[in-house]
Amino acid sequence: MDIVGMIDKHGIENGDKAALRYRDTALTYRELREKSDALASYIIDMLGRDKTPVVVYGHKQNEMIICILACTKSGHPYIPIDTSFPEERVREIVESSRAKILFNVEGMEFNFGDLVLNNLVINNNEQIKAIIDCYLGKRPGKSYTVGLDDTYYILYTSGSTGKPKGVQITLSCMESFLKWYINISRLDNMENLVFMNQVSYSFDVSVMDIYVSLISGATLFTIDKYMISDFKELFYYFSISNIDVWVSTPSMMEMCLIDENFNHKLLPNLKMMVFAGEVLTNSSVLKLFDRFKDIKIINGYGPTEATVLVTAAHIDKTMAENINPLPIGCPIDSCRVYIADPNGNEVLEGEKGEIIILGDSVSSGYYGNEKMSEKSFFASYIGGCKKRGYKTGDEGYIKDGLVFYCGRMDFQVKLNGFRIELGDIEHNLRKIDFIKNAVVLPVSKNGKVQYLVAFVTLDKKINEKDFVIGQDIKNELKRYVPDYMIPRKIVIKEYFDVNVNGKIDRKALMGDIE
Amino acid sequence: MENKILDILEDVCGTDEIKEDRDINLFKSGLLDSLGVTALLVELDEEMGVHIAPTEITRFDIETPNKIIEYIAKRG
Repeated sequence: MDIVGMIDKHGIENGDKAALRYRDTALTYRELREKSDALASYIIDMLGRDKTPVVVYGHKQNEMIICILACTKSGHPYIPIDTSFPEERVREIVESSRAKILFNVEGMEFNFGDLVLNNLVINNNEQIKAIIDCYLGKRPGKSYTVGLDDTYYILYTSGSTGKPKGVQITLSCMESFLKWYINISRLDNMENLVFMNQVSYSFDVSVMDIYVSLISGATLFTIDKYMISDFKELFYYFSISNIDVWVSTPSMMEMCLIDENFNHKLLPNLKMMVFAGEVLTNSSVLKLFDRFKDIKIINGYGPTEATVLVTAAHIDKTMAENINPLPIGCPIDSCRVYIADPNGNEVLEGEKGEIIILGDSVSSGYYGNEKMSEKSFFASYIGGCKKRGYKTGDEGYIKDGLVFYCGRMDFQVKLNGFRIELGDIEHNLRKIDFIKNAVVLPVSKNGKVQYLVAFVTLDKKINEKDFVIGQDIKNELKRYVPDYMIPRKIVIKEYFDVNVNGKIDRKALMGDIE
Repeated sequence: MENKILDILEDVCGTDEIKEDRDINLFKSGLLDSLGVTALLVELDEEMGVHIAPTEITRFDIETPNKIIEYIAKRG
């Protein structure tokens, strides 16, 4: 599948069409093609064919997509990092990725020259534009484009040891996902549609809208984090968006549902809503069918390690009224999705166990981290062909061919669609000099995580109110982890109770907050 | 009514500090974010029957406990 070739085709045949609309700007398919060609030529000039990853740091600027396509055209995997990542975490990623180029689209003030191996930090949009101007008209040779077994992108997810893990997705993974997903989500006249582009580029759910829209020659309508923090602005942009296809986490949609104006009058063109990243509840689906006429709803499931989604279900009204929890659907055709017991043996239909994915969508492993890869990835055979497998750590069961999700088997949680290892926050809390030990727990309501609580013991007595210490801890923690990983509540303890195994009694702590 | 609002806010923010310092900026102090605002509006609706549409307010309207109380009182 020639993804960039398919996108470029629109730049040649339908160049004036908007590929992206963002606030008062638009990026046409012609501009997207020419600018990404120019930037790719620059990357090739600098790095040749070495296939090292390139870091793209920013939020939702149009240039993010130009940089991403330029990486693919020049044969380099891209690492998209959203601005919700603090400097310290960006630093860890840049260091472990051994990237030689960093496009700082956001223009954040970093001092990373020492880390980027070639010292090629392109510090802001003006510098990126200057490079593009300089190389405009140059076209990278087709032979440079990312190949089937090459890494297409690397996404960093929360790791239980406090260091993020880079999930490598190859072009063959992308093909496996896109061929299936385009087929199950097909609508009439794809090229005339508008896709909502809201999900952070650091989160692979965004791959669904970006690539399907660009491959189809449709338009992406961008929603940024500033709009989300101001509903008036958000709803204004919705009202001028003409969105046909909605892609988001259930949390984002539920936030919008609180406002009664979120209905067919606001989004009269809406034809389909696709949800992934979290549990989709029956009550939300029923509300959506009330607010919008004749929409299709797709509920998807997939870990970053198996490329966006590996199961999907069309949810209709009857299903939402009668099946609770909702299924996450039928598996993708290029993979086997099954349920295994703790020994790795497949269980009988209806029995609970770990969800295992085997097939072409499965990542080639964590970047530069064989130890972690060995723990979660394996190889097995389907019909005599060796395939990559991934143990998700998710609990589920299969009934009548449909997969159902039950929750995590470890200390990973989903909050507002973000995947968070509680151990990641705990490790980073312990980096704060006056903290002795830390335990982070999720607080749930109706089976959904609402917020996180951190319990900490201190190294020294601090003569301040607990609240003030808590605020200090939050501010310190912000240096190490993204905002969405900061616990809302901080409880200071004198000591932790231990259970019979000598481990901190998490259950007792849970009782503290109930 | 004031106490009820403060109870809800304490629940959402996870600290009783909001009762002690009613002029604390909830956003700057990290006590409220987009998700928290959503939770607050849902609780106000469910617990008190006060229905506020997110599009009706700006962050400025609800940035301190006092402002939230004032806003709800003004609506009647």
